[in-house]
Amino acid sequence: MAMRQTPLTCSGHTRPVVDLAFSGITPYGYFLISACKDGKPMLRQGDTGDWIGTFLGHKGAVWGATLNNEATKAATAAADFTAKVWDAVTGDEVLTLAHKHIVKSVNFTQDSSCLLTGGNDKIIRIYDLNKPEAEPQEITGHTSAIKKALWCNNDTQILSAADDKTVRLWDRNSTEVVKQLSFDMSVSSMEYIPDGEVLVITYGKTIAFYNALSLDMIKTVDAPASIHSASLHPDKDFFVAGGDDFKLYKFDYGTKEELESYKGHFGPVHCVRFSPDGELYASGSEDGTLRLWQTAVGKTYGLWKCVLPGEFSWFGWQACPCPIAH
Amino acid sequence: MSTLVTVLRLPRGPDPNGRGFDPNSTRFVALCPTTISASTETWTDSVEVGEEQRARSALRESFLRTLIAMTNKQVQFHMYERVEVEAKFGASDIDVLNFQVSELQTPIGVQKEALLRAKHRKMLLMTVYDADDPPIELPTDD
Repeated sequence: MAMRQTPLTCSGHTRPVVDLAFSGITPYGYFLISACKDGKPMLRQGDTGDWIGTFLGHKGAVWGATLNNEATKAATAAADFTAKVWDAVTGDEVLTLAHKHIVKSVNFTQDSSCLLTGGNDKIIRIYDLNKPEAEPQEITGHTSAIKKALWCNNDTQILSAADDKTVRLWDRNSTEVVKQLSFDMSVSSMEYIPDGEVLVITYGKTIAFYNALSLDMIKTVDAPASIHSASLHPDKDFFVAGGDDFKLYKFDYGTKEELESYKGHFGPVHCVRFSPDGELYASGSEDGTLRLWQTAVGKTYGLWKCVLPGEFSWFGWQACPCPIAH
Repeated sequence: MSTLVTVLRLPRGPDPNGRGFDPNSTRFVALCPTTISASTETWTDSVEVGEEQRARSALRESFLRTLIAMTNKQVQFHMYERVEVEAKFGASDIDVLNFQVSELQTPIGVQKEALLRAKHRKMLLMTVYDADDPPIELPTDD
């Protein structure tokens, strides 16, 4: 019997959700942080979407958010020209890092000792979180606003994507460009998969996969609509993408075949990410919601329950408020 | 014919009254040892821990009573850049991030109702006075 996807809607934000990130798997499960134009990033339990807390303090739209692997620290990038580091257990603000323009991207090293930031002032900065009062190391070169800056290759290198239509690979110590990719249009998103060193880039209707060390192209796949974000499953068998037409698409990574598409959001999809265990993926939208989607539809996991044919379920209908969305 | 996957319940949404991060959650209790110096190293000296907890409770209660006592009183806020404004104190929000005041007297006019951000409250000093008592100066939290 075919099962239809029931996405779980996480409400609470009052403006578009523009970025989201999962932590690693911790003894307390895994966690999800969402960046929102309402200036109030939220932490949620990753497998259920249950709200845990809101990080209060930014005075402008939050454009980027990330968690460290252990989900003990969070970092956010905002339009108030600051990046902030937070205690992700207490919700307290730990550090405010002033910048000269809107900050768009934040990323911790594996050991959480350093924070990478990038934004509209076109400069990549590396902050030593053990010496926060020290001046950050700066990497210059991009000629337009930086959209995303990520640590890679065991935190020895940095990948950055900017509105100058380039993706650049930098050496952390020399701060020199190692390699560069140029595109005909701005890259809309970038995801780095350390296991296997894969880089996922989206631009226009294309989802492109590169080797993160060499920046050699592995493959490209075209979607039916303009794509804002894509994510590769940890096992590298599927990838998901979302964009302008409000839908989530699921593709087979090996064959590039479009497997499924899901309606649900009421606005363009800005970000999508697989959970660290690959059991679900989360999407953030212009409609102000996050939605959690099952990778294996119908499986018992988190708040989803597999109901076998003939089984009576108490729970089924109370949880599904908007059938037309499916 | 396909059927919708069953869900047990919807994800829990934000609490409208606070910012969350429940201090009673398993993760919080496990990862947030108390910041009290006597009890960070070991939990064996429960008498000392108890005393410090009582002191903390007393301080918290004193702070809350201060806020209650200030309600509807004329208050003077000493802010950055030597700005001083007077207003009638209303209330603080639960995280002491904002103060609700009325009849805020500013250099450019009187604001009937206003919210003052308390973000830099370490530098914020409030002088509370009423007509019958001489002014007393009360430090804010921490």
